[in-house]
Amino acid sequence: MEATLSPQSLGRPGFISDLRAFWAIVRREWTIFKRYPSWIIALFIWPLIFPMMYILTARALSGIDGSGLAVFTKTTGASNFIGYIVVGTTVWMWQNIVLWDVGFALRNEQMRGTLESNWLSPTWRFSYLLGHTGPQLITMTMFILITALEFGLFFGVRFNGSPWLALLVMLVSVPAIYGLGFAFASIVITAKEAHTFVFLVRGLVMIFCGITFPVSLLPGWMQTIATWMPQTYMIHGMRAAAFANASFADLWPDLRALLLFGVFWLTLGYLLFRWMERRARRTGAIGQY
Amino acid sequence: MSAFAIEAYQLVKKFPARPGTGDKPADREASPAQPKKRSLWPFGKKEPKALFTAVDGVDLQIQSGEIFGLLGPNGAGKSTTIRMLCTLLEPTSGTAHVNGYDVVKQANEVRRSLGTLLAGERSIYWKLTGRENLEYFAALYHIPQAMAKQRVEELIERMELKDRANELVEKYSTGMRQRVAIAKALLARPPILLLDEPTLGLDPQAARNLRELIAQLKQEGHTILLTTHYMEEADQLSDRIGIIDTGKVIALDTPEGLKRRIDQKEIIRLEVTGWQEYIGEKLRALSEVSNLVARKQGEADLWEVNLQSSNSRAVLPKLVENIGQNGTRLVNMNIVKPSLEDVFIHLTGKALRD
Repeated sequence: MEATLSPQSLGRPGFISDLRAFWAIVRREWTIFKRYPSWIIALFIWPLIFPMMYILTARALSGIDGSGLAVFTKTTGASNFIGYIVVGTTVWMWQNIVLWDVGFALRNEQMRGTLESNWLSPTWRFSYLLGHTGPQLITMTMFILITALEFGLFFGVRFNGSPWLALLVMLVSVPAIYGLGFAFASIVITAKEAHTFVFLVRGLVMIFCGITFPVSLLPGWMQTIATWMPQTYMIHGMRAAAFANASFADLWPDLRALLLFGVFWLTLGYLLFRWMERRARRTGAIGQY
Repeated sequence: MSAFAIEAYQLVKKFPARPGTGDKPADREASPAQPKKRSLWPFGKKEPKALFTAVDGVDLQIQSGEIFGLLGPNGAGKSTTIRMLCTLLEPTSGTAHVNGYDVVKQANEVRRSLGTLLAGERSIYWKLTGRENLEYFAALYHIPQAMAKQRVEELIERMELKDRANELVEKYSTGMRQRVAIAKALLARPPILLLDEPTLGLDPQAARNLRELIAQLKQEGHTILLTTHYMEEADQLSDRIGIIDTGKVIALDTPEGLKRRIDQKEIIRLEVTGWQEYIGEKLRALSEVSNLVARKQGEADLWEVNLQSSNSRAVLPKLVENIGQNGTRLVNMNIVKPSLEDVFIHLTGKALRD
């Protein structure tokens, strides 16, 4: 049905218009991100601080002469304990930042008061979450590169695997990590508060996925739980690609699991978003602080 | 297609009553005969939720090119009605069409037909410049790039933001932010504008400028639904006014038509110092007095007392006699033409800002 009232709207719906709207959301997020100077701390200081806690603990436990490290190498098969820890903590920080950043994206808009004005436009609403992911991916890529540079520079960590395969593991991990973030974003809008859920998820990742130790050290039931968490495969795959010179065939079991988790979490994230959207129209949750 | 820009029939919106917020449950889905003990088992049969009716059977037919004022106190149901019309909320029952499109089934078409001002200055990004905000929202409203650029410049000029369009919105005054929010609503040149409390928080000059702009937009052919609790604003701008209270439209007419409803009444406006509520009770008991409302004026102990009477000659001596007691003093007294506020008091028995 065509509208008959004048003046006629200037809007021209279509796929290209939706793409332009998506790009506008990405640009908006990037512009706002740059205008908070705290991003310098987030990108340069954080990559060092968090792994340092585990690295210093490992140094203390290995003894004054570092003889204990031989035990670590025997258990993990990794000769570079710093690189081993850095991969685990970086994956943990990636998931943690996505939960806070993407997970709270809509909630932050809601508290600012801008969520309703976005919701009032004819743009496909899932774009608001997808658009938020764009700058997040850029900053996370920078975060991971800076981590690699800083640990190479200050701790002499050298990567002896294929950087392209390491990049492939990262790319294949994106749907699972961000799908979980999308699911969170919808829950946060509905529940208004989800800090305890974030603490729970990152605690589970910390304990079950072996961020500083091999999963094989865990009791059997904990290992079973670990197999249901995508971060386990991300950490395992990244370590193998970056430090164990693994081939594509070696990495395939991890990549396959990550792809399956990606399909699951993206689908769940989208379905939860649709559910939240419908529920918000019934309850008015979008406009509530 | 209907001749109306906006039409709503028996629009109802119910929300679960939130404990501790003063929401009064208007009804229940099913009233339990006996109060039941709360079960600790979370998956059992849930007790029916108490519901709060925010909008209760609203009918609206707004003509194309008309400014329609929806007037009512806070919590009367104005914003909920607007939120249903702009697709943010789904009606519990009833139907509504905007530009001929169903607000539930054709929500995206409705959004394309509307420019909406909700939440005023908070509806834009303070960490973006005025220009960046407009360019961003132009993309969200699917305006082609070249056209968007031209339209943004046009609106920056019109809203007198040119000198500061490249500054962050956080550095703007409230009035400037409100102008950016209005420019955002106008970006796609939508046929229908929903303006929710557009002058709230603005200084008198900024409010006057905004009222002039709204009048111009009508001249350009826009249909405007305006909600406000400023009587003078509704009176000055609106072709027709719907007065809404406790979720119901209790009167709908032109401003003059509404005022004619109490033509036979005289409005007596008193200014009193040392006002005490028991005097109000005594005056209300007089047979010639109806709808007495007393409001404190500013910080000093000065009160404005409005009342309606069908026979001011008979009631004036009684007023003077009752007020001049125990330190209460009559400072000023006028018999005035009825305003929309008097109509509202006549219809609801309370002042608009109560």
